[in-house]
Amino acid sequence: MSETAVLSIDRLNKHFGGIVAVKDLSFEVQAGEILGLMGPNGAGKTTLLNMIAGTYSPSSGRVNFCGRDITGLPAHKLCHLGIARTYQIPQPFTSLSARQNILVATKYGGKKAAGMEHDKIFDLVNLSEQKDMLARDLATVSLKRLELARALASNPTLLLLDEVAAGSTDAELPRILGIIEEIRKMGKTVVLVEHVMKVMVEAVDRIIVIDKGEKIAEGTPGEVMKDEKVIAAYFG
Amino acid sequence: MKIPRLTTLASLAVLVVLALFPVIGIPLSWLNYLFTFFICLALANMWNLLAGYTGLICLCPHAFVGLAGYTLAIGSWVGVPFQAGLIAGAAVAALFALLISFPVFRMRGIYFAIGTLILPEALKAWFNYWRPVGNVYQGMGAGYSVTGVEGVTLGDTFWLGLAIAAASIFLVHIILRARLGLGLTAIRDNENTAASAGVNVFRLKLYSFLIAAFIMGIAGAAYYIYSPRINPVGGFNISWLLLPLMATVIGGEGLEEGPIIGAAIVTFLRFLLADYGAWSLFIQGIILLVVVVVMPQGIAGLLRQVGAYRFPLRLFQAVEGRIHENVK
Ligand SMILES: Nc1ncnc2c1ncn2[C@@H]1O[C@H](COP(=O)(O)OP(=O)(O)O)[C@@H](O)[C@H]1O
Ligand SMILES: [Mg+2]
Repeated sequence: MSETAVLSIDRLNKHFGGIVAVKDLSFEVQAGEILGLMGPNGAGKTTLLNMIAGTYSPSSGRVNFCGRDITGLPAHKLCHLGIARTYQIPQPFTSLSARQNILVATKYGGKKAAGMEHDKIFDLVNLSEQKDMLARDLATVSLKRLELARALASNPTLLLLDEVAAGSTDAELPRILGIIEEIRKMGKTVVLVEHVMKVMVEAVDRIIVIDKGEKIAEGTPGEVMKDEKVIAAYFG
Repeated sequence: MKIPRLTTLASLAVLVVLALFPVIGIPLSWLNYLFTFFICLALANMWNLLAGYTGLICLCPHAFVGLAGYTLAIGSWVGVPFQAGLIAGAAVAALFALLISFPVFRMRGIYFAIGTLILPEALKAWFNYWRPVGNVYQGMGAGYSVTGVEGVTLGDTFWLGLAIAAASIFLVHIILRARLGLGLTAIRDNENTAASAGVNVFRLKLYSFLIAAFIMGIAGAAYYIYSPRINPVGGFNISWLLLPLMATVIGGEGLEEGPIIGAAIVTFLRFLLADYGAWSLFIQGIILLVVVVVMPQGIAGLLRQVGAYRFPLRLFQAVEGRIHENVK
């Protein structure tokens, strides 16, 4: 394991009954890197994020975060250590306002969360106009941004983003790319799960492609797009 | 709308007037009904804290009430004064909550509800044969009378009930405005997201559970100072669950004023239906059903929807404005 790795996954497995959702997966993410994670639906991307963030514990394998073994730690501890995630299907606190939603992360995210300014976060994700609305009254697009805002509010070292661009129109993509660029400037390490190719190609440093829980390709966006196994997994 | 300070003042005025009731010659039957209202209110407030704000459908208030009542009663037989027995009863209820939290918090939603429902039944069976001290009263099961409360007047228990009810309202008010309240609401809305945002879900649920068990225990013990006989069927009676449940749901779950309105209605119904015995529960059940169907957010929810609080709040604001002007 290299010394600058923020996240290091070692032969991770996850079974659900007979289904193998993630199989013998190993990779590393360096400090400040933005890693893209691709794969067809059901490939195991969300399951992988769930294991890193502590929502599921792995069937076997290790997860290291900043040199520390975090395998099987509960989600709230991982948040305190500096891992934040968004949910693919937004999971807001429905009865709370957008502002209160991210206040939860500020108040409970540990010491490091105290420095984050809400107004800046809302500005960044373009949710300033709606911050006093109840989450249950927000449209899905806004809820996706709220996911991002909540994840940022705990001021994480590692950010796990699960399809934040899905469902956005082409016109909205520059904005999302801009947000990711800002997050990069904050010095955060990011694992980005995404289907939208434009986001992948423009925002990430490196891509890992998984299919049926297994890694099938790894490299720069340019390399991966030409890989035959990847083409087969997506179009075959 | 900003809540005018006069609202606090008005609440305090109500509290003072109620506190004067025993000394200004209010009919005793009123004091009795108001006492049951206070106990029901304290229980309902705590049930609302669990169901309405923490997302825990707790079906074992009768475990907390019964345990606290038995602690008071048994304590009174070994020389514990009832004041200490009251606190001890609440502490035992909270201790019981702590012990069961580890298994029951593993269950979610309906499983949690069913898990808690079994507990009072087990306790009832246990207290049917467990008799550590004292004499059986009137030969009924493992009943106990509470000794050492002969000098306690109806006025005294009235004040005790009033203090407990007021404390329960104040406590919920404080919790909801504190960090704890935000965390509990987050858990109620979405446990997974709460955990992802750094909330220690188990610990916060436990806090809420312990607070509720303690206050429910103290309310239960207060009832057995007022009516100093306890047996397993009475102490662990399911009506200790139904009372706060109905009050909360009819009044408005997850709304601060809900249990207050609900407890008043449930107590008033008890008064109206006092002569109808078993029919009373049936009629209350029907009312509950109607409320659930017609007003999913309870009466408080409906009042908020139609803006019923707007007028009194405006009135208070206007009065407050006048006072400020005159002071200048
Ligand atoms: N909680 C679960 N229980 C059972 N099976 C699951 C669960 N979560 C995911 N799976 C299964 O694991 C596989 C991978 O799912 P997922 O990680 O959601 O894929 P992706 O995010 O790449 O689309 C799928 O076959 C899915 O049905
Ligand atoms: Mg997914």
